[in-house]
Amino acid sequence: MSNLFVKDIVVSYSGLPIIDRLNISIPDHKITTIIGPNGCGKSTLLKTIARILKTDRGAVFLDGKAIQQLSTKKVAKRMAILPQSSEVPPGLTIFELVSYGRFPHQRGLGTLKLEDLKQIDWAIQVTGLSELKDRPVVALSGGQRQRVWIAMALAQDTDILILDEPTTYLDLAHQLDILLLLEKLNKEEERTIIMVLHDLNLASRFSHNMIAMKEGSIVAEGPPSKVMTSSTIQKVFDIDANLTICPFSTNPILHSYQLSGCTQDLLENANEG
Amino acid sequence: MSILEKRTQIATEDIVYRSRPIIASIIIIGGLIGLVAAIGLSVSFGAADIDIGTVWSAIVQYNDELTSHQIIKEIRLPRVLGAALVGACFAVSGSIMQGMTRNPLADSGLLGLNAGSAFMLAICFAFFPGMPYMYIIFFSFLGAALGAGLVFGIGSLSRGGLKPVRLVLAGAAVSALLIALSEGIAIYYRISQDLAFWYAGGVSGTKWENLEIVAPWVVVAFVGAMFFSKSITIISLGEEIAIGLGQRTKKIKFFLAIIVLVLAGIAVSVVGAVGFVGLIIPHITRFLVGHDYRWIIPCSAILGGLLVVLADFAARMANPPLETPIGALIALLGVPFFLYLARKGGEGI
Amino acid sequence: MIPNKYVSEYQQRRNKKNISIIFVVILLIISMLIISMNTGYIRLSPKELFETFFGMGTERQSLILFEFRLPRIVLSILVGMALAVSGCILQGISRNALADPGILGINAGAGLGVVLFISFFPSTTETPVFLLPFIAFLGSGITAVLIYLLSYKKGEGISPVRLLLTGIAIAAGISAAMIVLTLKLDSETYQFVAVWLAGSIWGSNWKFVLSLLPWILILIPFVIAKARVINTLNLGDVRATGLGLAVEKERILLLGAAVALAGAGVSVSGGIGFVGLVAPHMARQLVGARHQFVILASAMMGGLLLLVADTIGRVILQPSEIPAGIVVAIIGAPYFLYLLVKSKA
Repeated sequence: MSNLFVKDIVVSYSGLPIIDRLNISIPDHKITTIIGPNGCGKSTLLKTIARILKTDRGAVFLDGKAIQQLSTKKVAKRMAILPQSSEVPPGLTIFELVSYGRFPHQRGLGTLKLEDLKQIDWAIQVTGLSELKDRPVVALSGGQRQRVWIAMALAQDTDILILDEPTTYLDLAHQLDILLLLEKLNKEEERTIIMVLHDLNLASRFSHNMIAMKEGSIVAEGPPSKVMTSSTIQKVFDIDANLTICPFSTNPILHSYQLSGCTQDLLENANEG
Repeated sequence: MSILEKRTQIATEDIVYRSRPIIASIIIIGGLIGLVAAIGLSVSFGAADIDIGTVWSAIVQYNDELTSHQIIKEIRLPRVLGAALVGACFAVSGSIMQGMTRNPLADSGLLGLNAGSAFMLAICFAFFPGMPYMYIIFFSFLGAALGAGLVFGIGSLSRGGLKPVRLVLAGAAVSALLIALSEGIAIYYRISQDLAFWYAGGVSGTKWENLEIVAPWVVVAFVGAMFFSKSITIISLGEEIAIGLGQRTKKIKFFLAIIVLVLAGIAVSVVGAVGFVGLIIPHITRFLVGHDYRWIIPCSAILGGLLVVLADFAARMANPPLETPIGALIALLGVPFFLYLARKGGEGI
Repeated sequence: MIPNKYVSEYQQRRNKKNISIIFVVILLIISMLIISMNTGYIRLSPKELFETFFGMGTERQSLILFEFRLPRIVLSILVGMALAVSGCILQGISRNALADPGILGINAGAGLGVVLFISFFPSTTETPVFLLPFIAFLGSGITAVLIYLLSYKKGEGISPVRLLLTGIAIAAGISAAMIVLTLKLDSETYQFVAVWLAGSIWGSNWKFVLSLLPWILILIPFVIAKARVINTLNLGDVRATGLGLAVEKERILLLGAAVALAGAGVSVSGGIGFVGLVAPHMARQLVGARHQFVILASAMMGGLLLLVADTIGRVILQPSEIPAGIVVAIIGAPYFLYLLVKSKA
């Protein structure tokens, strides 16, 4: 049994049930990615795991205890969450914002102790922000800003990292940049990473474990080789996919894809042309 | 499809989905009938009750030897029409402001119009006591223009240009300054209560001459608002999307600001700072007809007119022969509804 | 001592600069205090002031200084601090730059309390006037609780947007009720109410100082101790929860502190609204966004601003007085606009 698992949860959002009796276990020290179409409940699942949303029934268990029963500060020492980007309060330098990540470890006024400073310094270094740390956060580009939020989560010093679409709105190079950083953190520090990604190819390439969701339930779950099959993708996204093998990870990736049902016509058109 | 295009498409589909032309048509027709009925009601009741037949004959066959006809023509009718006009002006200007700044709390008070008008009013009362009504209205309008001019001027002076947040902040600060100045004048010259009575008077002083001067401007501004209504819908989706759809947002915003100034300036100068109409009617209208400003503008005009006519009627009838301040009545009516919206709508309001 | 290699020189300078800025503002308050002590209808020269202060002045001089000027000066500093810190909390936790104690209906509630009270006791005799701060505090407290209850939703708690909207609606309703009531007052009483609503430090009396002091001494340190919490709330609810903050609980505590501070301030000063809006903005402009500094700087800026305003209001149109609330807006608004024009973000 892993440290983090979800048991029989029912989650609704302003009265509408989004997730209905879902069970899943998140493997320790692995990268797990949740995929699925818009509105399938993947962000809801992620937020429920991170205790942002409360369950109507069932519970998320961390170290064998229901997460809502644990003190929120205790949980914050175990897991950090990166929501989709929001506005940054103006007037903060990168160092200052990253230092906010020490919150669960501090008491009183929040004077930074040696241990805090070391952790902040490490987080800034790992995310490659050392040169920028005195800059105001509002002056950064999207990719840099995402790194700052990751650095803040790292300063929190947790073994679980939860990220909601960390690569959205970033260009290809910056997307890779973020995922390579997460891969490194997983490899070198054995951190458990759970995230939502829209790009199936990146998800497959960087994950040990994938969860495919549709309409609030899990359709498939397991290593990419098991989840990234044309039948699963057809079921989840309603698309016909040609799969191939990623030369960098040996996991399956999409070569090309088409909305289900149109494939035959398109192939004929292509052959004629 | 780029993200921007996609967002635009989703947003426009959303608008089409959420606009309700049938309900809107019902509101326009029903509202107009209601408005006429309310005007008739309001004209026939008062210190001296006059039956509806006399009201009708006073309009179609005016006889200046009958006192009742005189009361209707010279006192009640201009007043009630003034109320309808003021309500429509506030409501439309509020709709435009909220759409343009994408701020659900925007109204004419936000642009410094109310404060500017109050400031000028204080000056008129303190330094030129006994000034004729027409001049007071005129200076009050000048004050509203001054307030709005300051807000827009300072807002666009800033580095990075005119952003909604900045406009709101500038509006709050300019209003605070102008209100402080008028309070200072009022307290020093001991005219606070006179000012309060002026505001309490509401639309009661409206005469045909005033309506004749004001009406053409209001009509032009309404036509302008209808002309730009589609652009307001698009601007209300966000600046980038509007530019992406080929809107010349700067130019449009400039014209819209002028329209708001004319409408709200006139309304404020006639009736004083009755903020709640401009705040609440747009919300009610959007709640009823959706997010298409081609429907929102006419519907909010009618609903706004209806609300102020009824409020004016209630203000006269509540405690005769004294008049209850119309602004206070509207606020007392509006507050519970606004609270309901705030609870129901949550963030989306 | 922590080795400095983990904190860049720039950051160290930034922190030191913030501390010195706060000290400079304190020095400004002290110098303003001295100026304020020797200005007024009867001037006291610096020498006389010094002598009187150390008990060597004439009876008349010490009466003026200790019974009239000093309590008023101390009171305006304290009120300024209370309102500024209240505004600072509200802006921090609602993430809305326009939030000030007014949005919690505090000014409106206190005003309605006072107007109701005066309608029942129209003669401004000794006893009722002395009860006014209490009535005002009661009015603001009841209003704040009402707003809180109306914006509370089961299962969702309090959302800042809903709180803001409810506050605006309730304040508008109360103002409307107040207009109806005030029209019935005679013109002398109305003048008193108008001055009260505009906000003036009228209760220049050590008793008022003593009634305000405990709130300041307890609540401002409490809020400073919560600086980290406000920092975290300022990042938004989801991030704050992720960082291990009990968002609902902390928000209620801080709201309570904001209401109590503003209520206590408004009770002796009337409707001074602008300090709570503008002082935190000025403070952030000077010391950045970390509330460990912002709260203290706001308190100092608020105290300074109101002291300056009250002194100016006291002397500029002698022998009549301009309410401090008006002076604050007249000097504060242009500065605020200047900041707005100057700032990039």
